[in-house]
Amino acid sequence: MYPNFELVVPTTLSDALAELSGDTNTVTPMAGGTNLMIDMRAGLTSPEKIVSLSSVADFGQIAHRDGRVEIGGRTTISDILYANDMRVLAPSLHESAKVFAGQMVRNTATVAGNVCSGSPAADTVPPLLTLDAVLTLSSTSGEREVPLSDFYTGYKQDVRKSDELISKIHWKELPDNTANSFYKLGLRKGDAITIVGVAVLLTINGGVCQKARIAFNSVAPVVKRAIGAEAILAGQTLSVELIDKAAQHAVSESSPIDDLRASATYRRHCTGVLVRRLLNQAWQAIAK
Amino acid sequence: MSAKPKDGQHGANVRFHQIGRRLPRTDAPGKVTGKTKYAGDYSMPRMLYAKVLRSPKASATLTRIDVSKARAMPGVACVLTAADLPHRVMPNDIPGQTGKDRLKTDNQILVKERVRYQGEPLALVAAESLSIAEQAIQLIEYELEPFPGVFDPFEALKPGAPIVQGEDNVVATHQVRKGDIRSGFQAADVIVENTYKTQFIEHAFLEPEAGLAWIDENDVVNIRMSTQVIEHFRFIADALGVPHNKVRIMGAMVGGGFGGKEDITIEVYLALLTKNTGRPVQMIYTREDSMFGHGKRHPFDIRLRTGLTNEGKITAVQAEITADAGAYVYLSPYVLLYSVTAIQGPYQVDNVHVDARAVATNNMYTSAFRGFGAAQACIAYEQQMDEAAKRLGIDSVELRRRNFLQTGDSIATGYKVDSAVWTEQCMDKAIKGLGDRPADEGPIKIGRGVACYQQSYGRITWLHDTSEAWVGIEVDGTVVVRSGVTDIGAGQTSALAQIAAELLGVHLDDVKVYHSDSAVTPLAGTTTATRALYMTGNAVKQAGEAVRDRLVRRAAHALSVDEEIIVLSDHRAYDVNDPDNGIELADLVALCASEGIHRSELVIFKAPFTDPIDRDTGQGRVHPDYVYGAHAIEVSVDTETGEVTILKSVAAHDVGQAINPQAVEGQIEGGTAQGHGYALTEDLIYKDGILVTPSFSEYLIPTSMDVPMQVDSIILESRSGRGPFGAKGIGEPSLTPVAPAIANAVADAIGSRILDFPITPEKVVRALHHIA
Amino acid sequence: MTVQLNINGEESELAVWPNETLLAALRRYGYVEVKSGCEKGDCGACAVLVDGAAIDSCITLAGTMTGRTVTTVAGLSAPEELHPIHQAYIECGASQCGYCTPGFVIATQSLLDEISNPNDEDIRVGLSGNLCRCTGYVKIFDAVKQSAATLNQD
Repeated sequence: MYPNFELVVPTTLSDALAELSGDTNTVTPMAGGTNLMIDMRAGLTSPEKIVSLSSVADFGQIAHRDGRVEIGGRTTISDILYANDMRVLAPSLHESAKVFAGQMVRNTATVAGNVCSGSPAADTVPPLLTLDAVLTLSSTSGEREVPLSDFYTGYKQDVRKSDELISKIHWKELPDNTANSFYKLGLRKGDAITIVGVAVLLTINGGVCQKARIAFNSVAPVVKRAIGAEAILAGQTLSVELIDKAAQHAVSESSPIDDLRASATYRRHCTGVLVRRLLNQAWQAIAK
Repeated sequence: MSAKPKDGQHGANVRFHQIGRRLPRTDAPGKVTGKTKYAGDYSMPRMLYAKVLRSPKASATLTRIDVSKARAMPGVACVLTAADLPHRVMPNDIPGQTGKDRLKTDNQILVKERVRYQGEPLALVAAESLSIAEQAIQLIEYELEPFPGVFDPFEALKPGAPIVQGEDNVVATHQVRKGDIRSGFQAADVIVENTYKTQFIEHAFLEPEAGLAWIDENDVVNIRMSTQVIEHFRFIADALGVPHNKVRIMGAMVGGGFGGKEDITIEVYLALLTKNTGRPVQMIYTREDSMFGHGKRHPFDIRLRTGLTNEGKITAVQAEITADAGAYVYLSPYVLLYSVTAIQGPYQVDNVHVDARAVATNNMYTSAFRGFGAAQACIAYEQQMDEAAKRLGIDSVELRRRNFLQTGDSIATGYKVDSAVWTEQCMDKAIKGLGDRPADEGPIKIGRGVACYQQSYGRITWLHDTSEAWVGIEVDGTVVVRSGVTDIGAGQTSALAQIAAELLGVHLDDVKVYHSDSAVTPLAGTTTATRALYMTGNAVKQAGEAVRDRLVRRAAHALSVDEEIIVLSDHRAYDVNDPDNGIELADLVALCASEGIHRSELVIFKAPFTDPIDRDTGQGRVHPDYVYGAHAIEVSVDTETGEVTILKSVAAHDVGQAINPQAVEGQIEGGTAQGHGYALTEDLIYKDGILVTPSFSEYLIPTSMDVPMQVDSIILESRSGRGPFGAKGIGEPSLTPVAPAIANAVADAIGSRILDFPITPEKVVRALHHIA
Repeated sequence: MTVQLNINGEESELAVWPNETLLAALRRYGYVEVKSGCEKGDCGACAVLVDGAAIDSCITLAGTMTGRTVTTVAGLSAPEELHPIHQAYIECGASQCGYCTPGFVIATQSLLDEISNPNDEDIRVGLSGNLCRCTGYVKIFDAVKQSAATLNQD
């Protein structure tokens, strides 16, 4: 039930980019393929040529130097989960890896692929947004950097051109007095599609919030930050009431729908609950 | 140490050699190394690959179907539609052993004109490769005109509703009139009334339906099949129009059944295609096929009215039960009957009044699923007990204690239970096993619940159930068991081996069970209804005992001692008082062989045979016997998100006699996970008959992250059952109390009850009035 | 297209279609111990090791496997021997109908390869992509712990 397509398996990034620079209407890159394979089987997409990235050399490295953390275009969810450093370098991303699908999918699926999927439920994206992650998009014409917060332009739409690949994702090391976490609400605890996912980051010094990031998935057509809620906290002295206010505002920045799994009403309710809870927990974690 | 294993009521000092030991099962090594073949793992030269074309609509008229393009496609060997099968029907009634007339419930094999459910088969294709078969399916042209459909049983009962089955959509009714319900309610100080609703459930066995059929040089249609019932060979023969002795079913090890492989699934398609092409045909369902390919668990609507005195004694139980039978009758009449038999619960009640009906709709058809209506009844009656306790201000455990059925009391159908009824002990042990109750923390509330149950084992007694088995010992001292039993994963065949090993003095590894072949293994009947151990275990036991008796007699003669003191154990026969005085088992058997002493025995075991219960009063015997037990659950509920986590799970069941305690635990643990899903996460959702949860991404069974790390299984052994060595059964009982125990625990945590399953986080939040 | 790879210790050359999954190719070549449960990565029954890491073969293209080492449940040990994980699953009663077992055994091996002494959470997370309908997972947890204990002794 899969469509017929040509399959190429390049072994270098430049070969992969060259393959993608042909007739771009019908060529698609495949990293882990955990979304693409399912979509093809369901008849939702029929590429004529697939460029597998599974054998591209040196494409999955994790590097940490000079205050900068960088992962590659083929870094898998398992790479994140099993890298002990990631508990400290990207706590929310590490937490999302734990609840991301199952082991086999994690061993295959890439962070870059999850970002590119454009799914409103993509679990790595809220964490990456809280980390102010920056994407490096490569093509045969060169490289450009795009902050993740500028990447999505609409439901399943982003600024990646069809001949581009995400070759790196990087973010800065977290400063002291920072807490960063992610919670995934699903209808079961393992291997579930997210109903509401929330990631927060707080940097607090002397009781004052220096930086706040709040991001959520599955409650809007795109994964996004609650910028208005962040602004309520930034530069302020934290309190339970202020966090409540930010949480309420975050709810107003969400636009969930009713679907098979949950109603919009329930999703809004849980967005408020989880934003409030995670912010309070982050605040307490720093205070300790 | 007793020389001969005793069974029955007196068992306190029974010593077994093999029975009751946690032996690794005989089927384990093959399964863990991948050597064991399942039905879809077989192939033959010139094999064709088959696919089914299904209706995308739930209620429609097929006005046109044109398979010419599909037939013309290179590599397509055969395309069948209803036009090619003019007078053939698919039998879907309960398979019986006695040849008595079945109910007239047969449905069309392929749609002739009327589509009654989404997924109903329109055509069959067999081709040289799976890919060609898939493409050929796409080439079949057809037109479906919408036909008014009905998707709710209560709607289907209304005058003027579209008719799906029969004259009024009512495919089965049962009623109970026990005692005097009016005086029962008059004697009550309070009356508690609630309506409990349960959902469609999918079996979700990991192995989708699969089989391989071929027609051999003797014109026998052979089917290698994943099935719970090899006796379907008769129905398949009827559907094909060939003699019964020319269809042979060879059951493979089954990758999960739970009732979903109890009805005929793909056997008739395979048989038709192989007969038509003369070539072997393989059909393996995708998961999506499987969602449309077998009947689901009946959703039930149970309106339960219970009268109690202020002291908590139940004086009356009245129930109105409505089950969604879906598009075809299948086993609905029997599922309904079980719910009616069970609705009194494991409680002593003199006055019971039940009206029950199964109603056809254009939803997916419903049929057998572990618990078979009695599970749905338990969801109602055990939640009702907690509600009654709350109303009366009596502790819910104490309320149960004041009402438990005892041996000699009558159940809803008036039958007096004569085996041990240890519900109270089970309940107490289960609750005690929960230990200390943790404290609530912030929005996280702890809740505890218990549920007790009555679940039948053995089939309906007026089906005149039988099971045959052959046991023999080879001249080298190894043992053979031949039984038609199908092994669906609970250790059915290993248990038989363990029984034979016990009786003949060998080890489990020395016994080989040849099973599941309708042509050459004595027919054991279905692996359903918690009957395999009871029926086939007894047949094996009796056959083994016959062989044993002859060996013991010959050994006694050889050793010059009395028969009563001969022990068969560890490959020897010896004097229990003088173990050195013995003979090697192999030598004994060789001796018997040379003297013409019969080294094998074929036995037919019969369950109690009765006539059907009274149509008007529902009084009479329905089953051979019942299992009693309890399950206790502790949950934490996040009252802000509604998420429910199971913290502790303790089961206590009187299984009569555990043949292999590790296998019993396995059933309990597995039943617990199925109950968990039933209560909290599983829901087959049909919107106007269209399935919107067609895969494991939408239909959510519990994962390793959902279940607690352990389930405490407390196995009680009253040795009072009708099975071998006093065994009862555990297959269905292990599931029945779990979902209501979870519901009770959640209600305890949040202070209010969600009456319709599953209890999703959203429903919890709504029940707490956090959202409108 | 042809793919050269190592399957269960043997250098093999498979002729596969570009759109053929590794699951379909392996089964077509006789490795029927690799099971199909859902064909969309939901259940883990089809799991095999590729270069030591468990993946779902149903959503992997056979054509991407050039130069890889693929191990099925049968290839964890020599044919007549039992791997400690096999042994643990047998002894703990962790297999009932057995259909999910090959996938679980593979996932167990892959998990223990990364985390040699997994705690309860590691085990649950590590196995969350494998569905079982018969066992309720409890004896599978036991088997993983026993496997870890045995392997750590060596």
